[in-house]
Amino acid sequence: MFNKTLFDKSNKLEKITFIFDVLAIIAYVTLFIMLFNTLQLPPIDPLTGEIVMSDIETYPLNLVYRFMSFDLTYYQLNLLISITVIFMLVAIPMLAINIKKLRTRTVYDVNSYVAGSKFVNAIINLISFNFVGSILRVINMFVLVEFVKGYKPKEFFKSIIPAIKTKIKKMKEKNVEIDEDIDDQAVITLKKHIKHQNTASAFRLMSTYLFLVIMALIIVVPFYWMVITALKNYTSASSTNPEFFIGLSRMNWINFKVVLEEMNFGLYLKNTIIVAIFSTLGTVITTILSAYAFARIEFKGRELLFSILIMTMMIPGELYIVTNFITVSRHGLGWIGTENNQYFLAMIIPFVTSISYIFFLRQNFKQIPESLYKAARVDGCSDFKYLVRVMVPIASPTIFTITILNVFSSWNAYIWPRIITGIGGEEAKAYWLISNALRDTTFMLETGQVMHNLQIAASTLVTVPLLIIFFAFRKYIMNGIGRSGTKG
Amino acid sequence: MELRLENLTKIFTNKNGQDTKAVDDLSITIESGTLVGLLGPSGCGKSTTLFMIAGLLKPTSGKIFFGEDDVTKLAPEKRGIGLVFQNYALYPHMTVYKNIMFPLENMDVPRDEAIERVKAMANLVGIGDMLDRKPAQLSGGQQQRVAIARALVKKPRVLLLDEPLSNLDARLRLQMREEIKRIQRETGITTIFVTHDQEEAMSISDKMVVLNYGLEQQYTAPQIMYNEPSNLFVAKFLGNPPINTIDVEIKNNYLMINEQKFMKLNVKDGSYVMGMRPEHFRVAKEEDEKIKIEVSEIFHIGRDTMIHFNVNGQNVRALVDSDSVGDNDKNIYLTLKRNRVYIFEKETGKVIDHE
Amino acid sequence: MNNLRNSVKQFLGKIMKNIKTFFWNLRRAVNNRKKKISDFLDRKNLNFAGKFPGWAKALIYLAPALIVLSIFTFWPIINSLRLVTFENYNIVNNDITGYTVFGNFIKVLNDESFLFEASHTQGTAIMNTLIIVFISVPISIFLALFISVALNSIKFLKNFFQTVYFLPYVTNTIAIGLVIAYMFKADGGLVNQLFGLGKFPWVESGAEHWRSMFVLIFYSIWGSLAFKIMVFLTSIQGIDKQYYQAAAIDATPRRRIFSKITVPLISPMIFYILVTSVIGAFKIYNQIVALFGVTGKPDGVDYTMQSIVMYIYKYIDGGNNLSVAAAGSLILFAIILVLTLVQMQVSKKRVHY
Repeated sequence: MFNKTLFDKSNKLEKITFIFDVLAIIAYVTLFIMLFNTLQLPPIDPLTGEIVMSDIETYPLNLVYRFMSFDLTYYQLNLLISITVIFMLVAIPMLAINIKKLRTRTVYDVNSYVAGSKFVNAIINLISFNFVGSILRVINMFVLVEFVKGYKPKEFFKSIIPAIKTKIKKMKEKNVEIDEDIDDQAVITLKKHIKHQNTASAFRLMSTYLFLVIMALIIVVPFYWMVITALKNYTSASSTNPEFFIGLSRMNWINFKVVLEEMNFGLYLKNTIIVAIFSTLGTVITTILSAYAFARIEFKGRELLFSILIMTMMIPGELYIVTNFITVSRHGLGWIGTENNQYFLAMIIPFVTSISYIFFLRQNFKQIPESLYKAARVDGCSDFKYLVRVMVPIASPTIFTITILNVFSSWNAYIWPRIITGIGGEEAKAYWLISNALRDTTFMLETGQVMHNLQIAASTLVTVPLLIIFFAFRKYIMNGIGRSGTKG
Repeated sequence: MELRLENLTKIFTNKNGQDTKAVDDLSITIESGTLVGLLGPSGCGKSTTLFMIAGLLKPTSGKIFFGEDDVTKLAPEKRGIGLVFQNYALYPHMTVYKNIMFPLENMDVPRDEAIERVKAMANLVGIGDMLDRKPAQLSGGQQQRVAIARALVKKPRVLLLDEPLSNLDARLRLQMREEIKRIQRETGITTIFVTHDQEEAMSISDKMVVLNYGLEQQYTAPQIMYNEPSNLFVAKFLGNPPINTIDVEIKNNYLMINEQKFMKLNVKDGSYVMGMRPEHFRVAKEEDEKIKIEVSEIFHIGRDTMIHFNVNGQNVRALVDSDSVGDNDKNIYLTLKRNRVYIFEKETGKVIDHE
Repeated sequence: MNNLRNSVKQFLGKIMKNIKTFFWNLRRAVNNRKKKISDFLDRKNLNFAGKFPGWAKALIYLAPALIVLSIFTFWPIINSLRLVTFENYNIVNNDITGYTVFGNFIKVLNDESFLFEASHTQGTAIMNTLIIVFISVPISIFLALFISVALNSIKFLKNFFQTVYFLPYVTNTIAIGLVIAYMFKADGGLVNQLFGLGKFPWVESGAEHWRSMFVLIFYSIWGSLAFKIMVFLTSIQGIDKQYYQAAAIDATPRRRIFSKITVPLISPMIFYILVTSVIGAFKIYNQIVALFGVTGKPDGVDYTMQSIVMYIYKYIDGGNNLSVAAAGSLILFAIILVLTLVQMQVSKKRVHY
């Protein structure tokens, strides 16, 4: 009943289109990096060894930027960067969504809307200079149209106008139908009742949406304001009448360059990533091992040990920090406050295990039926192999949630790194994590005013990686959080 | 492979220090290539026995022999057994292919041969075209086939099945039990099949063991066990509708029913428990030893008719041919064959030979 | 074309097969060696692997976590009980002037910025924390409940809204705090601009205590909604549909459905969230730092926005008197302990369907 060859053909076409999508994305990214590198920071002041902050405003304006044998003004360059960023923002999610759709698509899912969405995609491709992708998508649309309706391309064009006509006709008929009704009293009251009910429910639905939209705006506005401000220049960011929108050519991408290179946020990001990766790696390994011991191995005092662990979850972290500070200092392990400071060790090691994750994962491990373990034993599987080959894959969603939560909390870590890097003066500054850097960097002009645009640009830089991770694993993260009921 | 259990005993001790005998001094020999059903009510120690054979539980005392090898102290993977679970215990994250392959990974088999064996085994159990699927995409019956394939792919010496059919619906259960019988015949492997469903056990087994509270009640072929139960428990446990048991007196070697002499038996006088299977009743002819009964209720159930009546004040059911009784018959003469009358001792429940 | 593709496929397949076979053989060799050893041990009756007691096996698995936990969790618990008995503990030269039993607690409780207001500043750690706990927690719970019920009742754009509401969860508290502070700036801040308030100071010189508090509460609600909405929505979706169908047949009004079905059925979750967010609010710190700086004092005002935790950190920072910090954290622990005990009692008795 379905034309399977057409369906397969459409899928094959789609796969080829993906290749060009990926190529286009690579092109956008390289273009973005090249353009971003073309931006020039003001020269370094020989007296202070740093750039003069007030120059950021004026210096780049008057330069001529050379890019692939074109001479560009500052505004043109910014326009180009903005466009590549927009292309990336459109193309990457589109590719991700399309790949996901293709993987789950079955013959039954295909209808004329799928063909329509192909057409919309094609137009987006066309606008973002991905011509091959666009053409392939149009062809794919025709294949799908033939699959759904059985029309060949020519017939399809011919069929458009009659289809619209019949639609209009149908709508007219509907109107007439209602007029023709001859009602007695009961029917009229019933109809009134239904109408009343419909308006009531419509009103209710509208107020629900209104409420949700207002709340959503409150949530989103800080993000919007952050991005907008990060792209403004100093004058505009500190003006009494802030602008709500800015044009593509007036986006100051140089702010990010200043923050990354001049204010060392590149280094801080690197530090944070190092701490996040190692503490997460440690946490996941220790959590899996201990959760396994608590879930599967029978030993005396298991419940006692476990309840002691659970009880410590009540104790506020501040209580630990007092002593841990002594422990890592020169009176204890000597990681900080000595000749040869091990800031990373001090920041990572105390956080390579977490009782709440052990608890969370143990609950998950306990749900795996005992008979799987028996079956594995009969098959000659050792305990450790069973853990690695069977339990970990089965509990992988939970382990993934733990990983993500831990990355988030490392990204958010403020107080412990601050205390650690509070000792050691300038040397310690090289080990700041982003939260510390955000709070303690002075985003100041020489005259003492705070350069909000740079501060907010740094905030954006810190937030964007998290948002990327979030959108990439949205479903997993949201489900995991909803189930877990715990936050770090 | 002959399997021998010698005085196998398992005692569980709970937290309060109380001992429970799950298996009590069990000694049986299972001949090579037979399919033995291990039958009993839930909690009778049948799964415990199975897990002790598998090596997942250590017996408190007694020995297990596979052929001449004493495997009592061997780890499960060294015994060469295949185990199939009630809930199949398939690894949910692996495909069918990987599930069947998994046991071979831990064995000394070249990869090419392993792949061959997986495919051959999949074809044997009839899932050859589903190797790429995950267990969640299979029906219960198919999952069970995968579990059997996974157990057999190791070429085990003994195949153990732990209530393998109880998670299936009625129709599939019927189909799968024929399937298991077929696979067992084709491979000729010694198989132990644990179930609490007597019909299932009777239809599939070459021989049956009935356990109660860890004690072996009887060990013989199903039909023999049905027709010649060794004690009251076995008699009661087998058969659907269940056997009728009534208290009777034997006076002057005559079995007394409703104060009438029914049958002359070679048994000492005294009170006994008598067992009669409903389907063994027949409407009596003139020459038979017969009893007159008063029908209290009558149900027509298709081919047969179920008659309820009172004997010695206890309700008894009889299944007789529909044609032999009319709707309005109040008094009927019924009879039983001599060897279908079971007399049990009142205290021990042991059957008494009355010939 | 087809030929080429097939040959490429074959080639790749061969490579994959070789790799897999290599690993298979590797594993086989290892297995063989293991088996030989274990057979040997079996024969000599020396195979202890099977007789390994449970706790020894467990110890191997638990060791990494237990080592870290005992240094950085168990030891601090014991040590803080030791620390509070020190008088004027100084980390720099690691000496003390004497021992005391309640001295450090008394010091904390008498401190002008902890419990009682001093003459020259407004706001104390306890006051500020309690205000946040009693205002932001109930508001955020009610808002989260309404939003999750509203989300549950719609279909169109549900996923979109869910994602939007989740965004605050995946942010850096300091980063967004800076943005919020910028939005509430007196001169050219978005809030003043939007509502036409002129140059109304919120978080800087000239702002009164309640205005700073308003911004702080706004931010703490903004940041904590996401988690609550997700948890409530998950539990609302877990409610059996039959309750709602029965209510619909009885023509129960929506308000009554909400108060008589939804809320009671997810009451364990609400109570759990209530307790955890009260505990969380007692521990508020990052938000204050983000909005008002490390000292918790907006520029040019005569009050402090510090919380209990911030008070504790004041003493950890620089290590000038860790004993006082330990005393402060023990007081915080006492508060949390009481709340947790209340939760356990109530959830045993009161919260049920």
